[in-house]
Amino acid sequence: MKLDRRSFLGLGAGALAMAAIPKFALAASSASDTRFLLVLLRGGLDGLHALQPLGDPAFAALRGEFASARGQAAALRLNADFALHGSMTCSAGLFASGQLLPVVAVAPPYRHRSHFEAQDCVENGTTGTSGTTGWLNRCVAAIPGGKGLALSAVMPLAMRGTGDVSTWSPPLANGVDPILWQQLQLLYAADAALAPTFDSIDAGMEGTSAGNDKGDLRLPQAMAAAATFMSAANGPRIGFVEDTGWDTHGGELAVLDRKLAELDAGLQAFHEGAQPVWGRTVVAIVTEFGRTAAINGTGGTDHGTGGVAFLAGGAVNGGRIAGDWPGLGNAQLNEGRDLLATTDMRALFKGVLRDHLGIARDALAQHVFPESAALSPLAGLVRG
Amino acid sequence: MAISRTVSAANRFGLGARAGELQRIGNDPRGWLLAQLGVAQPIDAFAGLPDSAGYLDLYVQVQKQRKQMRELKAAGDLDAARRVSGRDGLRRAMQQELLLRQGVAVASEQGFRERLVRFWSNHFAISVDKHVAALFAAPMEREAIRPHVGGRFVDMLLAVERHPGMLLYLDNAQSIGDDSRMATRRAGARKRGLNENLAREIMELHTLGVNAGYSQQDVTEFARAITGWSVARPNDRGSGSGAFVFRATAHEPGARRVFGSTYRQPGEEQGVAILHDLARHPATARHVSMKLARHFVADAPAPALVERMARAWLASDGDLAQVCRTMVEDDRAWVAMDRKFKTPEDFCVSALRACGLDGQRELALSLRLQGQLGQPVFQPRSPAGFGDVAADWGGPDALFKRVQAAQTLAERLPTGIDLTPQVLGDAVLGSALDAQTATALRRAESVQQGVALLLASPAFQWRT
Repeated sequence: MKLDRRSFLGLGAGALAMAAIPKFALAASSASDTRFLLVLLRGGLDGLHALQPLGDPAFAALRGEFASARGQAAALRLNADFALHGSMTCSAGLFASGQLLPVVAVAPPYRHRSHFEAQDCVENGTTGTSGTTGWLNRCVAAIPGGKGLALSAVMPLAMRGTGDVSTWSPPLANGVDPILWQQLQLLYAADAALAPTFDSIDAGMEGTSAGNDKGDLRLPQAMAAAATFMSAANGPRIGFVEDTGWDTHGGELAVLDRKLAELDAGLQAFHEGAQPVWGRTVVAIVTEFGRTAAINGTGGTDHGTGGVAFLAGGAVNGGRIAGDWPGLGNAQLNEGRDLLATTDMRALFKGVLRDHLGIARDALAQHVFPESAALSPLAGLVRG
Repeated sequence: MAISRTVSAANRFGLGARAGELQRIGNDPRGWLLAQLGVAQPIDAFAGLPDSAGYLDLYVQVQKQRKQMRELKAAGDLDAARRVSGRDGLRRAMQQELLLRQGVAVASEQGFRERLVRFWSNHFAISVDKHVAALFAAPMEREAIRPHVGGRFVDMLLAVERHPGMLLYLDNAQSIGDDSRMATRRAGARKRGLNENLAREIMELHTLGVNAGYSQQDVTEFARAITGWSVARPNDRGSGSGAFVFRATAHEPGARRVFGSTYRQPGEEQGVAILHDLARHPATARHVSMKLARHFVADAPAPALVERMARAWLASDGDLAQVCRTMVEDDRAWVAMDRKFKTPEDFCVSALRACGLDGQRELALSLRLQGQLGQPVFQPRSPAGFGDVAADWGGPDALFKRVQAAQTLAERLPTGIDLTPQVLGDAVLGSALDAQTATALRRAESVQQGVALLLASPAFQWRT
């Protein structure tokens, strides 16, 4: 093919890809070529509102009027005890087909009420907040030839580390002048700190658009993009998507109507886009902590402990509720205030990683989640 | 390679050198920095902008319009509904604020002061997650932060925590004491009450830091102490009190015990007294000094530097000019090996300054680029603000977009300028321009390509 400089410029990033080595080269494509997507909802999703424990005798007094307030879509019954928020129709459909598994009363080992520390703990995979690398990255490193992708403008803590990971967000409009690129390659090679980063730029990926004009990366777009990349034959096996705005101290009904609908749309977009790998996929949707059991003075809830997690995907052993329900009675609440956490989030992750990604128990206990040797992986989360 | 302190004054402590700035700083870089810590002067560009009370009026008016719009919509008159939506007015006002602010940063001869302003705005971050708060982010910086960057921390703290931006963003405007007159009067009606969001973030983020040992009880008690700190509605006006209002009827009566001290002050004074104590607490001195040193010097600054700054804080009762002076006078703040990877905002502002791009279109373009590079103005994803270490910003996708952004900005250079890329490189990077980059700049086939190369070069990505 003959390219003059002008047409090269016009093709932009896409043209650069021809010179670049494909980033996601040749992973095994077989039944064991499974996919795992982590969706982190930042801000502390109110689990009691997303998954409403209608069967708990204390729920009606605490939340009954709130959950059935005027204008609220009727909750979607899953079984005698639990119902999904009325906005989560796709999720309810997945539950009905056995492909959604809600896990109740989950929390990371962190037990205080700072968002930022709790998120660090969820992401670094330790019992504290000081770890500067992420457990998802260590997972990538534990898989031979493993690649990870974060749908984010900047690398989230969960994906930081030495494993082969990258980030992606919608591209800018212009391509890159190949002559400029050549010169920059020389200059960056001489900067020890930036050389590896520059070297791992994948120009092919940079040419992929988010599928909308505005270049937005809200949760549905991010999950659609994750599906595009992860369902490629040699796509990344591990993905990360994040969303903000779940911190609902006030006016929670309206906020969560919108946010939960967005989450549900995201799941639907991923489900549609990832059809080639859906049967071999687990999506884990988690948040850093739960919120208070009672509604506060401004129609919202404050920071609490036990939250909810959802596993979705064709590989999930769903259609039931997992986890131990601690109860909402005053004496059953943590500090008389919020849901007690009965499942360590790391046990949930370890169960998925062991049974779905085939990561050895020793690697899980020693590297991916250090300090977790005594914590058994949850069993039976994925189809055997 | 030795980086001269003149270059560091402009690029590490300032917002990046403008052409001619290194000459103006000359041989006394410390003096140049310290001179910027004096009393705040009004910024001409901001003259005539509405204050927060004015924006509150505008916001209330838009709320009314939106109510009217919903009614028109319900009645099926969609055209009329569109005409009165009023949202455009708010958006235009915000955009105007952001453009002016960007213009001030690009043109400023006081890069250190402007960087401090931005540091404190990010320390007291409010985010577009709440639309109403976003309207007040720029006014909060003008009204509550700018006047105090060379003054006392407690004054800035009091101004910020009573600003409508913060009160709305962290929900305190609606918080009501459970035993307040308002709550008692409303007993039986829709229950409203305490919200602890602001109190928690003040302790965790704004003052003590998360590991200072305060408890949930301290947070709740502090939240009770600042009940009644709220935002003026139109019918609260007339007293000339501006946008803040203390609603005595919403205030929780009684003494409060917070972090080991008891506060018996009545009304608004109770919260003020607690903020005074938080501002001078050793944990606050350490926490904020650490953040300052990390911002200006290195991702992991020398502990001894932080310790000296914290001591200066405690000795001066939180005089921020003293704290900054201590940092600037310490040789550990100038170590050539230390360098900071530019945030997207640093990158865009320093690029505009380097190229003298200060037209409205270029300012607007740079604001858009900052967003695409992951740092939309005043929109961190949480009250913790944007990250401030290289790992937050330095991924491959981000670096690729930075190259694209460099090219986009360079293409805005006016044609026929008499600067060559190499002269520009010397003028803005000085001794930080390495020989290899200088050679590449000399070989550029056009001014635009050379300037794109300069802005995209590794040397330009660092504040050295």
